[in-house]
Amino acid sequence: MSIFVNHLPNHFKNMAPLLLLVLILAQTVAGQSPFGTISGRVVDLESGQPLSGANIVVRGTFRGTATDEEGGFKIANLPPGVYSVVVSMIGYEKATISGIRVDAAAEVQLDIKLKPTIIATEQIVITASRREQSLREVPVSVSTVTAQQLAERITITVDDALRYVPGVNLLQDQVNIRGSTGYSRGVGSRVLLLLDGIPYLTGDTGEISWETIPVHQIDRIEVVKGAGSALYGSSALGGVINIITKEAPEGKEIRFRLFSGLYDQPQFPEWRWSSKSRFNSGVIGMLGGKSGPLSYVTSVYRGVDESYRENDAYHRWGFYSKLKYDLSPTQSGGISVNYLDRTHGNFFWWKSLREATRPDDEQRNGNVTSRRGNLSLFYKEFVSDKFFYTIRGQYFGNFWRDDSAGRVNNVSTSHLFHAEVQATYEISPANILTLGASTNYDLVNSNLFELAGQRGGSPEGVGGAFYLQDEVSILNDLKVTAGVRLDLHKVSMLESATEATPRFGFTYDVSESATLRGSIGAGFRYPSIAEIFTETATSVAAVRPNLQLRAERSLSYELGGSQRLGEMHFDLSFFQTELKDLIEAGISQDSTGFFVQFDNVVRARIQGAEVGIGANWFDRLLSTDVGYTYIWARDLQKEAPLKFRPRHMFYASASVQWEAFRSSCDYRFISRIETIDENLSAFVTHADARVPIHVTDLRFSYLLAGFGLPLQLGMNVKNLFNYHYVELVGNLAPVRTFFVSLDGSL
Amino acid sequence: MNRNLLLIGLLAALASCEDGLKPPPNVEAGFGGTITFSSWPPRDSVKNLWLFASQPYPLDSVKIIQGLFSSPPSIFLYPAFDRSLPYSVDSVEYKFAPLPAGRYRYIGVIQQFNDVLSVRSFRVVGVYQNPSDTTQPGEVEFREFEFVPGINLHVNFRQPPPQPF
Repeated sequence: MSIFVNHLPNHFKNMAPLLLLVLILAQTVAGQSPFGTISGRVVDLESGQPLSGANIVVRGTFRGTATDEEGGFKIANLPPGVYSVVVSMIGYEKATISGIRVDAAAEVQLDIKLKPTIIATEQIVITASRREQSLREVPVSVSTVTAQQLAERITITVDDALRYVPGVNLLQDQVNIRGSTGYSRGVGSRVLLLLDGIPYLTGDTGEISWETIPVHQIDRIEVVKGAGSALYGSSALGGVINIITKEAPEGKEIRFRLFSGLYDQPQFPEWRWSSKSRFNSGVIGMLGGKSGPLSYVTSVYRGVDESYRENDAYHRWGFYSKLKYDLSPTQSGGISVNYLDRTHGNFFWWKSLREATRPDDEQRNGNVTSRRGNLSLFYKEFVSDKFFYTIRGQYFGNFWRDDSAGRVNNVSTSHLFHAEVQATYEISPANILTLGASTNYDLVNSNLFELAGQRGGSPEGVGGAFYLQDEVSILNDLKVTAGVRLDLHKVSMLESATEATPRFGFTYDVSESATLRGSIGAGFRYPSIAEIFTETATSVAAVRPNLQLRAERSLSYELGGSQRLGEMHFDLSFFQTELKDLIEAGISQDSTGFFVQFDNVVRARIQGAEVGIGANWFDRLLSTDVGYTYIWARDLQKEAPLKFRPRHMFYASASVQWEAFRSSCDYRFISRIETIDENLSAFVTHADARVPIHVTDLRFSYLLAGFGLPLQLGMNVKNLFNYHYVELVGNLAPVRTFFVSLDGSL
Repeated sequence: MNRNLLLIGLLAALASCEDGLKPPPNVEAGFGGTITFSSWPPRDSVKNLWLFASQPYPLDSVKIIQGLFSSPPSIFLYPAFDRSLPYSVDSVEYKFAPLPAGRYRYIGVIQQFNDVLSVRSFRVVGVYQNPSDTTQPGEVEFREFEFVPGINLHVNFRQPPPQPF
């Protein structure tokens, strides 16, 4: 400033102090921002190469960004203060930079180096403790499926993706984690499905509706193995699957995906029911972006699956939209809408093993129409960088109708409302408290599930819960988690039921590369409205309601550990689950005749072990994963194997990435299901026909960016060896299918 | 480790070549023959008429219920539970298949004579007899994809055999 003053003409020199004041004021009013900026660059610690796509989040706020192609980032408009920044990226250890002082109109430069690591150990998960934490801090087994894996596998519904998760198998659409579920005729799920943390089971039958979940909007799927009712309540008997949807992209983006699959012919001429080529095709369009504090993503999906079986074609329309508005750097709210309209043929089971691709004659002219959707609201606020809370609400509506030869057989509508508030408080860096309360209400209108003795009566359920969990670090290496949840549930005129489900777990870092974990957790499942109230008559026997039905219960134990060795990662766990009062459909007789009724009948024990090995080879050109699960599931009353459980499950995958080219291969083996419900023989011809499952999938993809096109071309052969098997009695699994896909963005 | 990896891949490929499900031969396991009838009762006393095949013998009412609805069932009906053999015919040819392979120790015809679905509403009206000792029920045994013809029965509604319950 003195130089400036010295160069002024003499007659201005007397006015210099005044001029200086005016200049300072002008700068303050017009130029100086009251906010500060954090910017910098993120690089690989070992190679020094810039890292593109690393997440930078200002702790305790919604402010954050991702690094650009040069590894650079900039977070502007931060009020003056002291901040912590969390930097994370898959394949690298998470870094936290604390004590960053930001002044008004100042820019703080950070030079961040991330340490490469094995992918699995440092993944961030949210489901195990209802808050974000590293996989190493989690006391239970958790597996994840990423958006990239979903896209590469041309996943059409979420259950397709779960078939590659160690310890998980599916009986058609009923998911089974470490043998917990078996098959309960499509009624009631012993695995809780969450959509962004909110329970997502249908209000009438309590089952999972996979198709309503917009696969193309999934950021990741987290699978928590073992009872999770201490945090999530009913249905988390055998585990929890949380579908976490994507956030809006940073810039405005239009994306699309086209895919088409051609079903091969079955190996045997007896099963070739159609001379026409059968396709499974779809198109997805997505628009997303951010405009100031508003971020948005909207997508539309259309799919037609002609199927490899007769009267099994699917027609789907889907719509999804998510809006988020940052009210301030510490307050955010949003809304999401999801809707599916679907029509499909009725294929319950085959006509016989000789005609495995044709439905039973009674189902030949049947079809099912369903409309399902949900509306969710959320509000989240960081009161400080140590305390935040979230309020969420959801409506989940379901309508379905099944017709046969133009005649309506059954109609069901359910309305499910759920609301919850959750708070997380960091009492100290070594003590984190999570607590919350939730309530739900569901109402069912159905000719199948009417209130007993009341024609047209609509069953309704209401529930409330409170949960509390404390995570305490004892010493530096030992972390202990303890929690409990209290649930109250009432269905129509039945007596109310209460459940208290505790949970305890620990993780112990044996070394920088090895962790031990252990947990004990209780689980329960209230019977669904369908299980209590179903009343109908079939050609064989009547189905009767059971108003005395009680909740199923479980107690799960797990002891496990993980170890990193260079580019390899090992994980081993031993588990045991005690199951009590399992609900099964049984056949009885009284003076009026035979009837089917759901009842609490089974005491069971499931024991087993699971091992997983992940590794990178040749400078990460090749990566491999293998997983093996042994399950010993016994009915303690009958001293016999539990129905619908396999003894062995094995998964292997390998992927190669070289510049723009990527290829991967998956193989899964599930041993022959030892026993099934033999009563099914009364309905299904050749019900006992089943074999071990061996399925191999092969994929290739090529990024066309090198040709100046923002496109990725993919090819995928599912069931490469055209192996014929069943997952569920009387249902031939998909034959070999050749898919091509094209992904692009504008 | 590279060799192990190769081995795992090879095993996977070989395992995938293992035989999966295949259509059974075009023979459904079971048996067949002719049922002849005489002395038909009035129509309103024949609500339903079935051929039955029971693996266990002798039977009592508890075993019959268990046999029909236990897991797995051991007593089977022809035609299906919601259908009936024809009324007032001289004879009917039947093909009782598919049935689980095994030994069937008691085969006969059962009549439901009123609408109440209880054991007291049924009676056995004809039994497949042991060809070498007609005082005893005859047995039929077959394996998977095996069909045994020539299992003939006679039903005389006025002279029913001894009841099993």
